[in-house]
Amino acid sequence: MQRVRSPAAPIRPNDWQRRRAPYVNGTLIAGAMLAFATVGAQVLNLGLTPRPQMSLAISEPVATSFSRPDIIDRNGRLLATDLEAPSLFADPAIVIDRDEVVEKLLTVLPDLNAADLRSALSDKTRRFVWVRRGLSPAVAQRIHDLGLPGLAFRKELRRAYPAGALAGHVLGAVNVDNKGTAGIEKYIDDAIGVDAVNSATLSTQAPVRLSLDVGVQHALEDELDTAVRRYSSEGAAGLILDIKSGEVIASASLPRIDPARAGTTSDATNADKIAGGTYELGSVFKTLTVAMALDEGIAKPSTVFDIREPLVAGRHTIQDFHSAGRPLTVTEIFTHSSNVGAGMLALQAGPDRTRAFLKKLGLLDPMKTEAGAVSPPQLPPRWERAELITVSYGHGIAVAPLQFAAATASILNGGVSVTPTLLKYQPGTNAKARRLVTRETSAALASMMRLNVIDAIGTGKRAEVAGFRVGGKTGTAELPDNGRYNKSAVLSSFVGAFPMDDPHYLTFILLFEPKGSEETNGQRTASTNAAPVTARVISRIAGQLGVAPTSIVAKIGRASCRERVSLNV
Amino acid sequence: MRLLNIAAFFFAVASAFLLYSLNYETRRLEAHIQAQERAAQKAKSDIAVLKAERSHLSRPARIDPIARSQGLAPPRADQLVAPDVAAAIGKQNPVALRRIAESQ
Repeated sequence: MQRVRSPAAPIRPNDWQRRRAPYVNGTLIAGAMLAFATVGAQVLNLGLTPRPQMSLAISEPVATSFSRPDIIDRNGRLLATDLEAPSLFADPAIVIDRDEVVEKLLTVLPDLNAADLRSALSDKTRRFVWVRRGLSPAVAQRIHDLGLPGLAFRKELRRAYPAGALAGHVLGAVNVDNKGTAGIEKYIDDAIGVDAVNSATLSTQAPVRLSLDVGVQHALEDELDTAVRRYSSEGAAGLILDIKSGEVIASASLPRIDPARAGTTSDATNADKIAGGTYELGSVFKTLTVAMALDEGIAKPSTVFDIREPLVAGRHTIQDFHSAGRPLTVTEIFTHSSNVGAGMLALQAGPDRTRAFLKKLGLLDPMKTEAGAVSPPQLPPRWERAELITVSYGHGIAVAPLQFAAATASILNGGVSVTPTLLKYQPGTNAKARRLVTRETSAALASMMRLNVIDAIGTGKRAEVAGFRVGGKTGTAELPDNGRYNKSAVLSSFVGAFPMDDPHYLTFILLFEPKGSEETNGQRTASTNAAPVTARVISRIAGQLGVAPTSIVAKIGRASCRERVSLNV
Repeated sequence: MRLLNIAAFFFAVASAFLLYSLNYETRRLEAHIQAQERAAQKAKSDIAVLKAERSHLSRPARIDPIARSQGLAPPRADQLVAPDVAAAIGKQNPVALRRIAESQ
């Protein structure tokens, strides 16, 4: 018998379930909606409210240093650059045995201040203490090999000077944060700008191109080194100036300073003698006196002055050491370096015109270059007869050699003002140039300086370099010592220029307290030391600077030479 | 309706998969970029070191004594010649050289 299966009774919720269902559903839906609404609101909130940048929660102070552009010379050779270097720091909280750390570190860094480090490490609340910044990779490796806990390295930028102490005075220095403190480095901070960085990020700025020429700078420094040895001199300085553009091609001062060791900068004996000191330069100043006499129409090169009688000013008597014993023309006053003659020229001009002329040349006002302020000139308190006479031959007035060189340059370059610059000349930037003396005065001075070198009795004859037409003026000034002039200590100098048919470069060599030697017949005058040094310098640099020797000028003409030089052919 | 549900389910799974793979791809790319940036940084730093070393090795204070020990010296005025002579020497043209010598 077949059992007919009754249709299955639907499973029905029992009564209490049936009553509860709507509430359960409602609650679940409401809960889900609330959750979604919360999430949505939070998303909206996050999206709409601006959030502050994430802040660093570590206790380590973020060390800021500066990334600097490279410094290159006029031909693109590197003078200063940033390199990554490891710096050592300690975390006192992790250091286990501070005495062990200090003792072992001393084996690698013997000049470490142990007491300071020990007290810094004993403060367990600190998490960051610099131990030594800017280590060499080899030293860093040796410290790493000590395996001391709590010590770590951090890469930082350090300034490197691949050419060593070359042009150290011009380049200046940076401090431990890589910020410029002197010279061109300071100029970069002030005028070009450096980037503050928290890590070793190299600068992306274009390099700073200086007017210096590394080759010329080395030749100058090398010859000054030789001169200091040869003449047992206390110091020396030299300057090569492009008198057409005002570019400083080389500037050296001995003893040198090493820009990588900034601590030596403050030493007085190492001060920059070219821009950082003023000196009574002596007879080289007659260049300016004679230029004034010619330019003011007081005399012509052929005008004769009777210089046999000494000049009297108050209780002083001014006379020539080696008087010619006959009246001299203005040209001869220059080549004989007659103090009386120069004094007479200045007296004829009078105090007002003399001051006005020196002011026009910029010698009475402070001067500045990119490397900072030049030492301001020290001027006589009054401009009366005695001062007028002494100033005419470079005493009683002290100026920085760079300032004097700029004044002489503007007389020799055709009579247009020269502003010395340490940056490579960009055409058109010399717009402020103005005429100071006439072309005729400029040409007359150039031929007098040339005559002073080629004349048999000229004081500068030892400065001649075959083929490069050198001209110049000697100066031997007694150095003041406790208010009196010390006859045995002189500042011997030679201001030269070449090629004299169209002066382009000025050289200024200064030797401080040179001694007489066999070579100089016991003399210490500029004609026996500074003049030959100038000759040696010019013979080394003329070729580098593209100055054509006489034989080539005679063959292809001066204009053609100049053109080729400017095209760098 | 059922088809739609199934499609939606697969779509959800597929998009989740896509999302995760994108996420991982992005992280991988980020790591790659960071590695490249580190390599570039390292290369820049190496270049700076090499440039500094080249300048250090070619500094005149080092080259000068080496050159002199090889018998070299700064050029004298009589060693400099006019451009046409230089050009002739450059071309190793003895005829031109002789002609210039004769003209002087």
